Amino acid sequence: MIQTVLKRDGRIVGYNEEKIKAATRKAMLTTEMGEDEALIQRIVDRIGVSGAAQMSVEEIQDRVELELMKSPRKEVAKRYIAYRNQRSVARRAKTRDMFLEIIEAKNNDITRENANMNTDSPAGMMMKFASETTKPFVDDYLLSEEAREAVDNNYLHIHDKDYYPTKSLTCVQHPLDRILKYGFTAGHGESRPAKRIETASIIGCISLETAQNEMHGGQAIPAFDFYLAPFVRTSFIEEVQNLEKLIGRDLSAMYDAELDDFISRHLEGLDGDARLLQHAVNRTVSRVHQAMEAFIHNMNTIHSRGGNQVVFSSINYGTDTSAEGRCIIRELLQSTYEGVGNGATAIFPIQIWKKKRGVSYLPEDRNYDLYRLACKVTARRFFPNFVNLDATFNQHEKWCADDPKRYEYEVATMGCRTRVFENRYGEKTSIGRGNLSFSTINIVRLAIELMGIKEQEERIRRFFQKLDEVLDITARQLHDRFCFQKTALAKQFPLLMTRLWNGADGLRPDETIEPVINQGTLGIGFIGLAECLVALTGKHHGESEEAQALGLKIVSHMRSRANEFCETYNHNYSVLATPAEGLSGKFTRRDRKSFGILPGITDKEYYTNSNHVPVYYHCSPRHKAKIEAPYHELTRGGHIFYVEIDGDATHNPQAIADVVDLMDRHNIGYCSVNHNRNRCMQCGYEDAAENLDVCPKCGSKNIDKLQRITGYLVGTTDRWNSAKLAELNDRVVHK
Amino acid sequence: MNNAVSLIKMDTLLKVLQVVPGTSVDGPGLRTSIYLAGCTHRCPGCHNALSWEFDQGTPMTVDELMAQIRAHDFNVTLTGGDPLQHRPLEAVKQLVKAIRAAGYTVWCYTGYTFEQLQTMPEMADLIPMFEALVDGPFVESLRDTSLIFRGSSNQRILRPDGTEADIYQ
Repeated sequence: MIQTVLKRDGRIVGYNEEKIKAATRKAMLTTEMGEDEALIQRIVDRIGVSGAAQMSVEEIQDRVELELMKSPRKEVAKRYIAYRNQRSVARRAKTRDMFLEIIEAKNNDITRENANMNTDSPAGMMMKFASETTKPFVDDYLLSEEAREAVDNNYLHIHDKDYYPTKSLTCVQHPLDRILKYGFTAGHGESRPAKRIETASIIGCISLETAQNEMHGGQAIPAFDFYLAPFVRTSFIEEVQNLEKLIGRDLSAMYDAELDDFISRHLEGLDGDARLLQHAVNRTVSRVHQAMEAFIHNMNTIHSRGGNQVVFSSINYGTDTSAEGRCIIRELLQSTYEGVGNGATAIFPIQIWKKKRGVSYLPEDRNYDLYRLACKVTARRFFPNFVNLDATFNQHEKWCADDPKRYEYEVATMGCRTRVFENRYGEKTSIGRGNLSFSTINIVRLAIELMGIKEQEERIRRFFQKLDEVLDITARQLHDRFCFQKTALAKQFPLLMTRLWNGADGLRPDETIEPVINQGTLGIGFIGLAECLVALTGKHHGESEEAQALGLKIVSHMRSRANEFCETYNHNYSVLATPAEGLSGKFTRRDRKSFGILPGITDKEYYTNSNHVPVYYHCSPRHKAKIEAPYHELTRGGHIFYVEIDGDATHNPQAIADVVDLMDRHNIGYCSVNHNRNRCMQCGYEDAAENLDVCPKCGSKNIDKLQRITGYLVGTTDRWNSAKLAELNDRVVHK
Repeated sequence: MNNAVSLIKMDTLLKVLQVVPGTSVDGPGLRTSIYLAGCTHRCPGCHNALSWEFDQGTPMTVDELMAQIRAHDFNVTLTGGDPLQHRPLEAVKQLVKAIRAAGYTVWCYTGYTFEQLQTMPEMADLIPMFEALVDGPFVESLRDTSLIFRGSSNQRILRPDGTEADIYQ
């Protein structure tokens, strides 16, 4: 006797004979003889009584077929079978359409979800097929009912859902010193400890590339200058040893010569040991320069993840004041300024200048000269960005100027903005740690749903109620994913879980990562604060003090809830100002379908990036800084402050420095400057004109227009999705 | 400050076409650019010919302008129009004095050449207050978009003593 039915999506529902009747009747009606209620009832009775207590939909349909075949109405059986097949094809058609779109290399929002991915390449397509088919698997088998509902209802977005079944973690800041000192095993090769700058820089590349294949997010080096500095000295010693061989004299006293800086100079006028020393310095500088060039070049050409993406790499530097560290920084910056290949701007790695008073910012600081160079490089090449080590929330009580390992207490960022620093389960540091997973809340939708409530106070009160509900679901969903991730075995991440992740060196290959995974963070993101505030108060936070006060209240509330979740679930939860590349249009499109076009809310194709003042809103950079600054302290999972400047930034690197001053003055955590940069791919002409289509010098139409999208540089905008393109078109300069 | 000067300050209005905070094209760094109405140079190809008329713009006192400048908190550029033709010139001088006293530098764009300004006695106490002057008329045939902070190659960026200003690039 059938009591329950197992549906295709895994749900179990009560048996309802009317469903069988309706389907059989439909099949009969397409035949000449039409329906036969008596036969229908007989079939249903027989199946109902003789069936098992629980049957699947397919099993029941098989039984119906059988009964029809045994009956005099074989032509109905034929129709019934045909109808079943049609339905089954229709169910697969969605997958088919999606596959076809990928196969035809069509530019649509599926294939352009990620601007840095080449989904046209075979490996890229293969990955897209996998990605699109794992998402429904996650919905059906890995998400809780409430999480799936929150996603279905467009309240929640689970980032990197396609990677969910793999148990992968998001990202990590590489402790490159461990790799360089002990070597590592990757793939089928082992590396020995590095001895010279060329090897060290290549090992840095391989470390990033290998770990990229073990994770679903970005890879970063938190103290590029400190890690590579020792190899400037070993390369220098190598050069001195070459001279010893050449002249047949012992120069070992020169090995640890005190040098204020490694700078190339002409040998003219120099004699004796001074000449030899300078020659060794010159050779060293040139080798470091080439090693930096190779590093950049590799990071733009080595593909990962089956060949469809370059590594999402970031490097942080700026605070090593040793002659060797300064040499690394200087040559890296100069190499970046020159560009790769034919002088084109390097898309990777994202570079981040660690700005610290007393070290790398003020005119009296040792690295001030390099800071000025960094501003100049940014004016032309968009990088480095600037992270503010002086922001109150970025300081570390253990940092000490003469500690050779002080970089361990310096905050470093993933270029996209992800920030990992505070730690409930060990030392506060960015190194050897990373994010585990992110989920982002659509706070705009929560607000839109309450617009019918006339009284503003009540509207806002209800908003916080609903926000709390979704926050609870999000925290549980992140916790669920965590519990799934922690069952992964160390050997699934051969490099990450031996050398990179804090504590991983104590894990056996067959052991789960549970003992160490808590070093990572869980990110609760939000998007569209501006639109949310318009829905609640009629104005966004850039244009109204009242809206700003409410905006701060909302994000403060999220932060204090995140802190509660830390206690409840025992993880490092943090609030993230979501960049949301693939997300920026997805939420909006669905909300528009539900609510239509609401002015200032769903009238654009995108929701505004996290807590940002809308890109279309005209205001001075100072105003933007003042409005956005207080959110940085609240969003410890990551944040960024952007300024769009008018004109040719290469004419005015001081403008870049002024933006950094805004960051310093207003306690902002991380900033970056956007501007136009065109480059003629034919003749190399560069300028900052808007919408340059034809090169004024050679007439070529092959113009590379560089733009930034959620932290990453993208040479042409062809790979941007439609919502991000709309956002780009709306961007106004801040003046 | 004597009474005569403060009287002028109280009563005199500058005619302001626009205040642009945070621009990066009118001198080093992010600057607040103040567009003062009126110019007789009338250079062919002027990028801002609508500014030539003297009798236009929003009348503002020095204090009102200073409030804006302080709020934006950037160094200042005077442009227009030709700020050195704005009258009464005393009001311009008061403005520049106030900006300097508040700790900001002032760049000034003018259609006069530096040499012409040297012969104008009324400019003697104003010019030294500028950090830099961008001098000379715009000459269409000498237009060059690669020039920094200038429109045509005859124009120069000069310190008050007439030497060329060096710019961080």
